[in-house]
Amino acid sequence: MNDPALVESPTVELDDASKWFGQKVAVSNVTCSFGPGVTGLLGPNGAGKTTMLRMLTGLIRPSQGSVRVLGVWPRTSPSVYADVGLVPEEAAVYPSLTAREFVRYAATLAGVTDVDEATARAIDTVALGEPADRKLSGYSKGMRQRAKVAAALVSDPQILLLDEPLNGTDPVQRLHLINLFQRLGTEGRTVIVSSHILDEVDRMSDRVIAIVDGRLAAAGDVAAIREAMTDIPYRVRIEADSERVLAARLLEEALVHGVSVDDGILHVETGDLAALGRRVPAVAREVDARVTSFQPEDASLESVFRYLVRR
Amino acid sequence: MRAAWAITTTTVKQLLGVRRMIVFGIAELAPAGVFLLMTQTLAEEAALDRLLGMVAALYFPLLVPIVTLIVAASALGDERRDGTLSFLVLRPIPRSVIALSKFGGAVIVAAGLNIFGAVALTVAYGIETGSWSLVVPLAVGGAFASIVYASLFVPLGFFTDRAVLIGLAFVFIFENAVVSALSGLSSLSPWRIGVSGFSGLAPNEVAVELADFGGTGLSSFGTALFRTVLIAAISIGATTMVLRRRDLT
Repeated sequence: MNDPALVESPTVELDDASKWFGQKVAVSNVTCSFGPGVTGLLGPNGAGKTTMLRMLTGLIRPSQGSVRVLGVWPRTSPSVYADVGLVPEEAAVYPSLTAREFVRYAATLAGVTDVDEATARAIDTVALGEPADRKLSGYSKGMRQRAKVAAALVSDPQILLLDEPLNGTDPVQRLHLINLFQRLGTEGRTVIVSSHILDEVDRMSDRVIAIVDGRLAAAGDVAAIREAMTDIPYRVRIEADSERVLAARLLEEALVHGVSVDDGILHVETGDLAALGRRVPAVAREVDARVTSFQPEDASLESVFRYLVRR
Repeated sequence: MRAAWAITTTTVKQLLGVRRMIVFGIAELAPAGVFLLMTQTLAEEAALDRLLGMVAALYFPLLVPIVTLIVAASALGDERRDGTLSFLVLRPIPRSVIALSKFGGAVIVAAGLNIFGAVALTVAYGIETGSWSLVVPLAVGGAFASIVYASLFVPLGFFTDRAVLIGLAFVFIFENAVVSALSGLSSLSPWRIGVSGFSGLAPNEVAVELADFGGTGLSSFGTALFRTVLIAAISIGATTMVLRRRDLT
């Protein structure tokens, strides 16, 4: 099979699928498929990733084209949901329930035979531990994400759809979830993880489907896509005192393509984000400037995606 | 069956917020409280007249619809707003089970509250008169009205965030103004179905007296029961269809 958007043994397929809401086109003529392993659904905010995941689960009907999960359109074949788990981006938990009750509820509705055993296993898998008996209303966003992942996993689904699952998680939780998704992929499950953060997708996925403005921008393995992006500079936002001195000094660095200062904030363009991240503290020390923030700008990511669309 | 029970009990738990129960509990005691107050101030008026005044002016036209509206509109409305409806519909269970269970949960809470109000009022009446024959009829009438209102407001909560506003407009404009003016429409009025259930089970003199309190155009108990079951079945069917067809964006 030559088309990198398609896989040999698909469990989830979109065939020329589009979805529009009034005049707004959210997903446009996307043909791709997903199979066992972790696939990253990558795209900037508003690219159509959530709409695509909702189409895949049957929550929304494509305006055109078709969607098949394990060979059927799930809306009319609810039994297929026994093999599908969704972790939506929004809260989507019952605040009056404890995490254990929530996971147990998911197990009961999925028709799991040994509900108690499955609940305990799912909670253990996401390492929720003791807080599992606390009400979800008191949970942080990261803990809610883990509770939702446990609820999605409790029925041992073959297909797992995760919409920005790492949002709100701390670095330890993030690492744990990334390892978990990789393990699930290795076990032969179809894991589709949406994210707007390249680094996250890079760490989790064997394969990437990039979506921009609702269209399929690129597909394939992560290395190939990253290579295609190398000539696109990253844009970094730096907050520091003595910003003009720091800007002038940064311009002397070979890895810096350009610097602008806007309202006291530096916007730096570079081809190597990681190297810049290592170099900035040293440069700041040289000119006696104090850096208070170093953040890759979403706009730079968006420009990368737009570049991919133009290719 | 296990799934239906799980959804129903979770819905009941969701709808039984502590603050909501306190407010509604006090509201449900209001007709009984006013009845007892009138015992002091209008002692010359017959107890049955005072009771029917409460039933026809406060309990059925105001208390039952408002309590049921708020409870029933939350049953699916809260799930939609909180994003948990997608959690429910992405389970390997028929949508009809979801519709039936959400409806069942709403009815259990709304009818439970309204039956509590009915019992409080008729017990207050019984304490004064020594007659307890109206406890069951009013509780049954309250349950009928709760079921019919829930049939309207559970799906309404799914469609719009303004379910309470629209429901109040229905209660005050359609039920209390239009139906009162055009008695031919009374068969479509949920609270009149409830009053019919009450009147049908109550002793004959109560049914006769009810006419003096605007209880005209009432049907028999059997007809009220039939209408209640029919409207509930239509509502569950319609909710099932909407859950199958409507996108959850």
